[in-house]
Amino acid sequence: MSAGDLLYSAVLEPGTGKALELLRGQVLRVEQIEGGQCVDFNCFNLHDYKEYMHTGRTRTLYGLSPGKGHFMWSAPPRERPMVYIMDDRVRCNDVMFPRCSAYLYESVYGLPVHTNCHDIQAEAQREYGLTPDDVHDSFNLFMHTGVRANGELYITRQNSKPGDRIDLLALIDVLAVPNVCGADIMRTSNFSIKPVKLSIFTATEAEMAAVPRITALPSQRTPADFKLNRIKAERELKRDPGYAPGFVNVPIRYSDLTVELDAEEYAMLQRVGLKEIYREDDGAALRDIVFSWWEETYMGK
Amino acid sequence: MEGKLVTLELNQQQLELLDRTVARGAAPDRAALIRRALREYAARHPRPPSALGDPAEPRK
Repeated sequence: MSAGDLLYSAVLEPGTGKALELLRGQVLRVEQIEGGQCVDFNCFNLHDYKEYMHTGRTRTLYGLSPGKGHFMWSAPPRERPMVYIMDDRVRCNDVMFPRCSAYLYESVYGLPVHTNCHDIQAEAQREYGLTPDDVHDSFNLFMHTGVRANGELYITRQNSKPGDRIDLLALIDVLAVPNVCGADIMRTSNFSIKPVKLSIFTATEAEMAAVPRITALPSQRTPADFKLNRIKAERELKRDPGYAPGFVNVPIRYSDLTVELDAEEYAMLQRVGLKEIYREDDGAALRDIVFSWWEETYMGK
Repeated sequence: MEGKLVTLELNQQQLELLDRTVARGAAPDRAALIRRALREYAARHPRPPSALGDPAEPRK
């Protein structure tokens, strides 16, 4: 819990969202008032809106329901932590479902005009000059989802209570855009739509010091590294006649590497090699083993 | 069962990873690294793992 200075406090009414400048070292608290309310959350780099929170990267690292101690990452090629989830009293979040949209309510329910997270996000971020096309998939706070055995996704009811909250610590200056989820005819917020409380605090030095270190790498690129770094202003896509491909490491060239296995080693290969995929191709089976071993030995260490 | 020569087809990026692993001291050369990988992998997997959807596969 942050004990820093309170900078902002407001109630986010049903059907609305708010774009908030959340500077590095500030904490956005999203708090249940009545309980049981899903809140969609997006964020952009405040100084470069092309860098934005990426649920794909976040989901890959932490699974389908990230929570306390996890980061919200930006999309490649920036790919850096933008926000740290400093506290989460419920751990009932979702990064699997996209924001709900007007089309969903019209196509499924026959309601052409209905509160929906895409349009609420768009309207909130319009305050900063962003268009409806700039809305991206949200980190869904207080949303209970899962995957059935057959692979289908589902949304079900949630049990967050009044006072339950999530504290989001900005690691860079961001435009944070929370919105009250518009889904009042689904299980998402227990078939209702309710206000939530927003607060912004200054993080304490101890809270900033407690954020796990992520080493910066050259592959986390910025527009200064791009071959083309101006933002396209025209809607029409036209071919650049001067384009010359610049893909890295191409052409990909294969070469043979022959290894002598003794009888014991060859027996091992025959025992653990994936015959169902590689059949009699010992080289392909051994290649699979080598890189599988590498993953097990070095990844995440 | 007799020993055997086994030929792996590897591209330059795969070889780069092997060479970097050798450079960090995992084995004296590429061939030794591959034999080490085979022995350790076989020790960790008494039975062939599932080809698809291995739950032990690390996350990216």
